[in-house]
Amino acid sequence: MAKEWRLLPLRVDDAFTSMAIDEALLRLNAGGKSLNTVRFWRWLPSTVSIGCFQSVEREVDLEVAKRYGVDVVRRITGGGAVFHDHDGELTYGFVCRQDDMPDDIIESYRLICGGLVGGFERLGLRAEFKPVNDIQANGKKISGSAQTRRWGSVLQHGTILINPDVRRMFELLKVSPEKISDKFIASAYERVTTIERELGRKPSFEEVRKAMSEGFADALGVRLVEGELTKEELELAAKLKPKYASDEWLRKR
Amino acid sequence: MGYAEFKAPKGVIKVEVELSNDIISDISISGDFFMYPEEAIEQLERVLVGTKANRENLLAAVRAFYSSTRARTPMIEPEHWVEAILRAAGG
Repeated sequence: MAKEWRLLPLRVDDAFTSMAIDEALLRLNAGGKSLNTVRFWRWLPSTVSIGCFQSVEREVDLEVAKRYGVDVVRRITGGGAVFHDHDGELTYGFVCRQDDMPDDIIESYRLICGGLVGGFERLGLRAEFKPVNDIQANGKKISGSAQTRRWGSVLQHGTILINPDVRRMFELLKVSPEKISDKFIASAYERVTTIERELGRKPSFEEVRKAMSEGFADALGVRLVEGELTKEELELAAKLKPKYASDEWLRKR
Repeated sequence: MGYAEFKAPKGVIKVEVELSNDIISDISISGDFFMYPEEAIEQLERVLVGTKANRENLLAAVRAFYSSTRARTPMIEPEHWVEAILRAAGG
């Protein structure tokens, strides 16, 4: 009988709540109080998340973010800046005991990202894992992930590009002065793709969530059982939220 | 204050460095790399302060950082940090 992991319902939250839930799940999983969990969420408002080693001033045009009402948050995971478009992006979160993952970092990414690759296949796309943390379809990035390991547990979260506004993404991210030129956007299209572009249609968030959940269950050899966040998890998340919303945390680097 | 970016096999390392008589007096490292555990980055910055900004001394300091913290940085080697720092230091 396969091990049971928890699958949470699709949530829509602001950036600070989502990051706080991730950390709460990681802490409580490490403390033996939360099940291994897979979840999916959307961001409201749209948000730029930056990696924990990135300098916000160097990576994000804060004036543009303000103008569009886009939140900016620092993650506890490394990696790069991501534009989480409310209408075109789905994020997954994954928390489990370190013992349930390979110790090797790239191998653990390979295992978790293997679930996403299976999910893309269920949607009708051929995708492959590109170490350390990317998934490509047709040689272009369609998903990126970031992982942290703390207190004996692993948190990995990542972006699934359904049909984000790529032009807005490059306005928000400080890539280079010519970033919003048509030429630059064209070259970005050579490197980044979306589910809508590859599939020729935009699947619903639920359809993507279902495909990816099945992919995860398959790749991990576990049974995902629908569940809810516990009172303890929600209470801890509420306590952690102010840190993510603080200017001190955002400008840490 | 010198600044440079260096594209490692995985991630861009961004370094801001201040020198006093060829010795690092302040350094700030940022970028889209991965490091486990994450707080080791502060230790890396600490061991670099006081180090002479030449390849040999920097490499020794970065290697000592890896062996004392057991930090893991997928697809980033000591040489990559050193290269980024040397560029920021202007030599």
